[in-house]
Amino acid sequence: MKDIIKLGGILLLVTVIAAAALAMVNSVTKPKIDEQKKLVIENALKIALPLAHKDAIVKVDSSEVEYYKGYKTPEKNELVGYAIVAKGQGYSSEIETMVGVDTAGAIIGLTVLHQVETPGLGTKIEEIRYGEEKPWFQVQFLGKTPEDLAVEQDGGNIKAITGATISSRAVTNSIRDALNVLKEHLQKAEEAVKE
Amino acid sequence: MEVKSLFIIAISSIFINNFVLSRFLGICPYIGVSKKIDSAIGMGFAVVFVMTLASMATWLINNFLLKPSPSNLFYHLFSAKEPPDLMFLKTIAFILVIAALVQFVEMVIQKLSPGLYRSLGIYLPLITTNCAILGVTILNLDLNYSFIESIVHGFSAGVGFTLALILMAGIRERLELAPIPEALKGIPIAFIMAGLMSIAFLGFSGLKIG
Amino acid sequence: MSMTKEFFKGFYAENPVFRLVLGLCPTLAVSNSVQNAIGMGAAATFVLVCSNVIISLIRNMVPKKIRIPIYIVVIATFVTIVDLAMAGFAPDLHKSLGIFVPLIVVNCIILGRAEAFAGKNSVFYSLLDGLGMGIGFMLALTLLGVTRELLGDGKLWGVPVFGSGFEPVLILILPPGAFLTLGLYLGFFNWIDKKTKK
Repeated sequence: MKDIIKLGGILLLVTVIAAAALAMVNSVTKPKIDEQKKLVIENALKIALPLAHKDAIVKVDSSEVEYYKGYKTPEKNELVGYAIVAKGQGYSSEIETMVGVDTAGAIIGLTVLHQVETPGLGTKIEEIRYGEEKPWFQVQFLGKTPEDLAVEQDGGNIKAITGATISSRAVTNSIRDALNVLKEHLQKAEEAVKE
Repeated sequence: MEVKSLFIIAISSIFINNFVLSRFLGICPYIGVSKKIDSAIGMGFAVVFVMTLASMATWLINNFLLKPSPSNLFYHLFSAKEPPDLMFLKTIAFILVIAALVQFVEMVIQKLSPGLYRSLGIYLPLITTNCAILGVTILNLDLNYSFIESIVHGFSAGVGFTLALILMAGIRERLELAPIPEALKGIPIAFIMAGLMSIAFLGFSGLKIG
Repeated sequence: MSMTKEFFKGFYAENPVFRLVLGLCPTLAVSNSVQNAIGMGAAATFVLVCSNVIISLIRNMVPKKIRIPIYIVVIATFVTIVDLAMAGFAPDLHKSLGIFVPLIVVNCIILGRAEAFAGKNSVFYSLLDGLGMGIGFMLALTLLGVTRELLGDGKLWGVPVFGSGFEPVLILILPPGAFLTLGLYLGFFNWIDKKTKK
């Protein structure tokens, strides 16, 4: 019995030392990690809301949905659109995209925030062809509204990547769902204002 | 809705994202313990059992001790101003929980059912370093699963592992008698077989559920 | 015991992947590109060297009965350090390696070296052993990564190397390709072994 207490004590001591060391490392890396995360979102917002001023994008965190509002000038008087993060299960990972729409609901910009799909197949959702500026798969989405969004196999007009229908479908459907949620929320908010 | 999403988690972790053949978790026991069907079944059951328990235990630890949320126990215990973020301790906490859990299960089985212990006993110590167990607990976290979803995921991932293991054992028992080039005998041919099985499992990825 | 032998044995004679057949999960999972392979190899080498040194330092103080849990705690600590540092300084790599960063904890190579070598030998030799084994692991991963990326995707380090006429062998970049490539390499090294012994 005494033995168990002694051994347990040693193990506890080792664990406490380890935890303390990690707490120290964490205090150094945490600000860096948070900064990285912020940077990723900021860069994505620039692509999703190309017309918005960089200091005039506000995060709205209502209980139902989290999204961003973009204004043209730093004074925040002319609304240019909304941006929202869409998440969908792809082939081997959850694909996260940041997508921006104008006030009429048409897509004005999008970019992939996170994906770990199969190299050479699913990763083509981010592929930029030689001589082009934007990923060809994503360009298809520009100007479309949620009703238009579905891959060709599902009767829509987004051309899926050959051999990577699952990834293509994940991106398309997750964006459509996220935009529908956003639209519903905005309509509700508008009605609430009218009342 | 709830039941349907659980069903989707189960099917996809058994077939589409099979732990061994598509996520590459638990390869060491997959190659090491697949020479005989009997031992494959024993190992499989041990893994399903520990995976389910580990999913449960780590979910509780994560949500009540590590995660910076209002339900964090330290937050209430020390009446801190805001919930502490202890997520950086997740790896160390999870592996210790799994190690302790394996020890505990071993003791309980030994007391309650010596017969079961004789058949599972030798596999249990191997499980602590089976990356499928730690893998499933971290995946539960990454995929933001609820308590019930985590349990279903843990259980069905274990079933998927067992399925791949038993299929492999069946094939390897026959391979014993097959004329294989000298250099490929043993582990190399096992990997090539695993590759062919993985191709077969790729077919499931076209499966449309829901 | 010679220094060079302890360092170089991990490269070929006791290569953790091809000879000892250890650490297979990350080997299969992250060898789909050279970049991932080298990133994972470097991370594992760091953990291996640090844990070998620490475990060798404390080897006479650790009670025999609880040495494995203590080794695991030491390893998990360094893995978390790598995890946090990678998330902060190399976020893209961290994302593409995904859960295989925390899973270095259960990489059998590391616990295996702790138990088989660092727990019994002096600090300096443990350091050499860890470094050699780590580099051997990285070499193996890179070999698989080069093969799979080149033939399966037509690229090296993300840069296309073949002309547009090249049709990649897609299966190699998909999960089955990992098993097939590793199986064939293992067979190949067995074959070389038999040839040289004769």
